[in-house]
Amino acid sequence: MLGRLMHGERNLTELAAPLRMSFPAASKHVRVLEGARLVRRRIVGRTHLCRIDGKPLGQANQWLENYRQIWEAHFQRLDDLLDELKAQEKQPRSTQGDPR
Amino acid sequence: MKHLLEVTTPSDVEIVMTRTFDAPRHLVWNAMTKPELIRRWLYAPEGWTMTVCEGDAKVGGSFRWAWNGPDGKPGLTISGVNREVVPPEKVVHTETMALGDGVPVGELLATVVLTEHEGKTHLRMTLLFPSKEARDGALASGMDRGVRAGYEQLDEILAAMQ
Repeated sequence: MLGRLMHGERNLTELAAPLRMSFPAASKHVRVLEGARLVRRRIVGRTHLCRIDGKPLGQANQWLENYRQIWEAHFQRLDDLLDELKAQEKQPRSTQGDPR
Repeated sequence: MKHLLEVTTPSDVEIVMTRTFDAPRHLVWNAMTKPELIRRWLYAPEGWTMTVCEGDAKVGGSFRWAWNGPDGKPGLTISGVNREVVPPEKVVHTETMALGDGVPVGELLATVVLTEHEGKTHLRMTLLFPSKEARDGALASGMDRGVRAGYEQLDEILAAMQ
């Protein structure tokens, strides 16, 4: 949902639709994000407009750490793959058809 | 030895990631540019399935990665075009993201630089966003995942923020 808000203010319907969420579920999700001060909501008539909240300094660090952990998970899998590729390179290539 | 990823924000519109890998550069290059290897490490949340992983590591070549969500329907597509490809040391590519079967939104410029030293490879990945809001949204998307994981992780994060 925060991904949707990267590109500016959106109303609840716009946020819910591509995520195949019901309106109440989307509203609840936004409420939690509001509570965490990640999202700010303003109400214009009957429309609830949401946008990413400007972040206090401590929160910025938390965002960074969370982001880091997600990418660390990618890279740990890459570590494992690289170990496998290194082992493959050490094996003799006699079984390969490559004339080199 | 364990290498840790470092994430920094040198400006309002950038995210920079640096990390070292215990492997020579040509292997890291292969793992990051060959689709059949990319799909083995590019992380997807539990219940998600990678359905498309294709790419052409040439200047002007495009790439596309797509996942189905836990409901079996299109969940996320990341695609882009290679602007600069210098094997085995540098790639610059554009990157857009589409949720569900929606249209791609936003565009960032990713620069990956690999340097080798004594058999190890140092990675520096710079993500350049069109605005601070886009950059913040990308950073915050990790928090969003915590929310989806049943609010538990977010509770911990909130407790840590007190």
